[in-house]
Amino acid sequence: MKKDKSKRLSDWEKKFSKEVKIETSKEFFHETDEGININPLYTQEDLLDYTFNDIQTLPGEWPYTRGPKASMYTNRPWTIRQYAGFSTAEESNKFYRKNLEAGQMGLSVAFDLPTHRGYDSDDELVMGDVGKAGVAIDSVEDMKILFDGIPLDKMSVSMTMNGAVLPVLAAFIVAGEEQGLDRKVLSGTIQNDILKEFMVRNTYIYPPEPSMRLVADIIAYTAKEMPKFNSISISGYHMQEAGANNVQELAFTLADGMEYVRAALSKGLAVDDFAPRLSFFFAIGTDFFMEIAKLRAARTLWAKIMQDFGATNEKSLTLRTHCQTSGVSLTEKDPYNNIVRTSYEALSAVLGGTQSLHTNSFDEAIALPTEFSSRIARNTQLILQNETGVTNTVDPLAGSYFVEKLTEDICSAAWKIIEEVEELGGMTKAVAAGMPKLSIEESATKKQAKIDSGKQVVVGVNKFKNPKEPKIDVLVIDNEKVREDQITKISTLKKDRDDKILKGHLNKITEAAKDNTGNLLALSIEAMRARGTVGEVSKALEDAFGRHYATNVGVSGVYGKFFEKDEKFMDIQNKINIFEKEKGRRPRVLIVKMGQDGHDRGAKIVATSFADLGFDIDMGPLFQSPKDVAKDAIENDVHAIGVSTLAAGHKTLVPELMKSLNAIDKNNKIVVFVGGVIPEQDYQFLYDNNISAIFGPGTSILDSAEKVIELISKK
Amino acid sequence: MMKLRDRIIAGERAAIAKAITLVESSREEDIIQSHELISELIKSPGHAIRVGFSGPPGVGKSTFIESFGSYIVNKNFKLGVLAIDPSSNFTGGSILGDKTRMSEISKNENTFIRSTPSRGSLGGIAVGTREAAIILDAAGYDYIFIETVGVGQSEITAANLVDIFTLIVGPGSGDELQGIKKGITEYADIFIVNKNDGDLASQASKTASDYKSALSFYNKDSDALETQVVLVSSIENKGMDEVLDSYNKIVNVNKANNQFDKRRENQLAYWLEEEVRNKILLKLRSEKETSELLEREVRRIIVGETGFYAASKVIIDRFLSKK
Repeated sequence: MKKDKSKRLSDWEKKFSKEVKIETSKEFFHETDEGININPLYTQEDLLDYTFNDIQTLPGEWPYTRGPKASMYTNRPWTIRQYAGFSTAEESNKFYRKNLEAGQMGLSVAFDLPTHRGYDSDDELVMGDVGKAGVAIDSVEDMKILFDGIPLDKMSVSMTMNGAVLPVLAAFIVAGEEQGLDRKVLSGTIQNDILKEFMVRNTYIYPPEPSMRLVADIIAYTAKEMPKFNSISISGYHMQEAGANNVQELAFTLADGMEYVRAALSKGLAVDDFAPRLSFFFAIGTDFFMEIAKLRAARTLWAKIMQDFGATNEKSLTLRTHCQTSGVSLTEKDPYNNIVRTSYEALSAVLGGTQSLHTNSFDEAIALPTEFSSRIARNTQLILQNETGVTNTVDPLAGSYFVEKLTEDICSAAWKIIEEVEELGGMTKAVAAGMPKLSIEESATKKQAKIDSGKQVVVGVNKFKNPKEPKIDVLVIDNEKVREDQITKISTLKKDRDDKILKGHLNKITEAAKDNTGNLLALSIEAMRARGTVGEVSKALEDAFGRHYATNVGVSGVYGKFFEKDEKFMDIQNKINIFEKEKGRRPRVLIVKMGQDGHDRGAKIVATSFADLGFDIDMGPLFQSPKDVAKDAIENDVHAIGVSTLAAGHKTLVPELMKSLNAIDKNNKIVVFVGGVIPEQDYQFLYDNNISAIFGPGTSILDSAEKVIELISKK
Repeated sequence: MMKLRDRIIAGERAAIAKAITLVESSREEDIIQSHELISELIKSPGHAIRVGFSGPPGVGKSTFIESFGSYIVNKNFKLGVLAIDPSSNFTGGSILGDKTRMSEISKNENTFIRSTPSRGSLGGIAVGTREAAIILDAAGYDYIFIETVGVGQSEITAANLVDIFTLIVGPGSGDELQGIKKGITEYADIFIVNKNDGDLASQASKTASDYKSALSFYNKDSDALETQVVLVSSIENKGMDEVLDSYNKIVNVNKANNQFDKRRENQLAYWLEEEVRNKILLKLRSEKETSELLEREVRRIIVGETGFYAASKVIIDRFLSKK
């Protein structure tokens, strides 16, 4: 016999309450990092008349919640686009060609940090960073080698470049030219998303306002000259990596997008002239359904936003996105677990309807991927596409009570933040006021506290630990050799070119930058064609704009809140109080980033949580040299220095720091510890250089704090 | 100990740093040592001009010091900066982030930059700030900048540490203008209006002229220098030469009319009184009999058994009679 709906629901409610032994299921929900409540059950009752999500719509139809295209993967699956690049252009080129043969469909270039920050490989400032976290590109010559044998009219190329975006994109265009190709046929994407650099990733060069001009110039130039090229990839990825929750990631990314649209409109373009070439980039973490709903919500909101801007072309209204599985969800402990994590994340991205995808290699919490680990990462996607059947149906989760409701919940939560940003006057102003940065840092610190306190489980890290950690091989880059090779190439280049002609082009760039005239990408192309270097063009712009230096203030009190009455937390506080009584002051620790590595999430979290425990924390500026750090440490008479390193610079920079400390005070008793991405193979090297402790990814802050206080008490 | 003195006078960085730690320390033996050290160091004074910086949070004190400090250091002066960092934390720890705004000057060989958490101490400065300035002076620094927490009421204590007291304000601080009491102008030698750049430029220059006209109402002694007002942009490095000119003028005029030394003498008296007051209170609290008396008298006032002034007299009399 058929029961009526409400009777069934109340019956379920009774059974549920009995099973879990509580009064009502209403008390039983899970609160996500985003502050969204996830209920144990969703029913038809949850499919209300929503504000944003119209569940009646179809794929390829306004507001494109179900996908930008009608056919989606049934016609053509997503593009497998693996992000890679290391050491020299020659090495990276070999790697790309091998991957393309093995079934990869698009290229995605990772540049090294000096290139990002507009320094040539022969610059003293960047000694430790050349060729480390990506490929070193100094000129057109390097770019030509990078794509040697890869036809740029057939292969779409994505380039992660924001700071030195002009000379790098210019070099790419000239490399195409010298392959005999008109720039009109070049296809691909340049990241060109500077706002998020100021928020989280820190590979900016110039201050925010002139940086926005570069973005607008590139959009304007490509709209006219390169119809197949995506002029910007508006990226939330790095926000999530820096600890943003999914709603923050979505809201700030869309708000960034709005700001870029305004910048392009200010160049006199019509919205439909450039909006079809705007693309997006999101991170996909381990919260399975949240990530799916996030992508659906992203398309829904973007359609609304673009309609408000007066767009009518369907391509302007649809959000197309690249996704990458989460790097921050990878663990150093029990690293093969990362293959499983990445697989689930990849499935999320696909069920959410991404246009292209990068799957991380399992060893990326420790080093750059090896050939072996990259093959597994790529095959994760090949198996999804060819064996699981996920490509047979468009948006298969549509109509799920839960997923539809979650999509709506994310939409409305994100919209609230977007409205806040708009009230501040848009994203450039919000960024200048530090609003997004602070809220992301707060969220990052909460997340760390949840993991350290065991409230959030990470398998193999805070629960189900592997008693026998496997040893894995990692890729080693001979940084010295790469640097020498690059220096040789630069000096040959400089010998063979006509300096006078180049000088003329560089001067034009500086003038146009100063006077706010001309198109800076067009001028950069001239300079790069005349064999200027990335460093020289960047310098010409710097002469007009200056370099940007960020201030570095963090949140406080957020971490400590999670540990009220926690025994271990109080025990450490107690140890610190005893220390203060005995030594006449609190333990003082300088937390630093050295070299061009701008990933400061880890450094920030350590700083704020150590301060919550009772340490006095000195926060160094970004991009310090070992010599600067040593001076800072000695002058403030710190007990310890914590070096955060995520870009493989530790082998050069840490020994340099020890040398500098001894040069100022050979009797110094400063304890130096290192945290971040460090392969186990390097541990002994660091210990040999008098490093007292090494904390890999996934180390609990409490454990590291306890160790540090113990180490400095002994001195 | 004497070795430390010599090393400081020789300008040795690590020695200066250790000495500042000593004067900031709360440990009994450190305090004794620091007294010895300071007594020695004031016998060989340098020639430093001490400049204090106060102003509301967010007005750009550190950014100004970065910009003006670079200007000074490029003129081959040696610069010491004592930054009192307001950030403190509910558990007692703190994040000292001021230096992140001073990345250029902190690299320079001719600077010494020390941050100190303000903790609970009074007046926008920290325990040991006065002594730290003495150490940097003895070590041969030409200028010593003291960046205070800048919480408003702190001007008097901080002003008593320096030869030039600078108040930094932002554009559109017209509302605060109402709050310029005669008191503050007595302490501030110079107002710097920051953020004369971009969208805020016109507002900044208006603010500067508002200050000028407001300040003209307060007349100091007839031979004293009027309070200076300078418009600057820290991010565009504008107005730095004018600031230095004003500082030179303040020093020169004050030296010519004897105000410079007189101020230092008055400050000595101020700090001596502070020291005596603090030590007496400390002693009062640390001895069982008097600390109990203190508590008892408070309770008696509350329940109406005695009056405020009567209680105070009882405590003082008891304390003095013990000696």
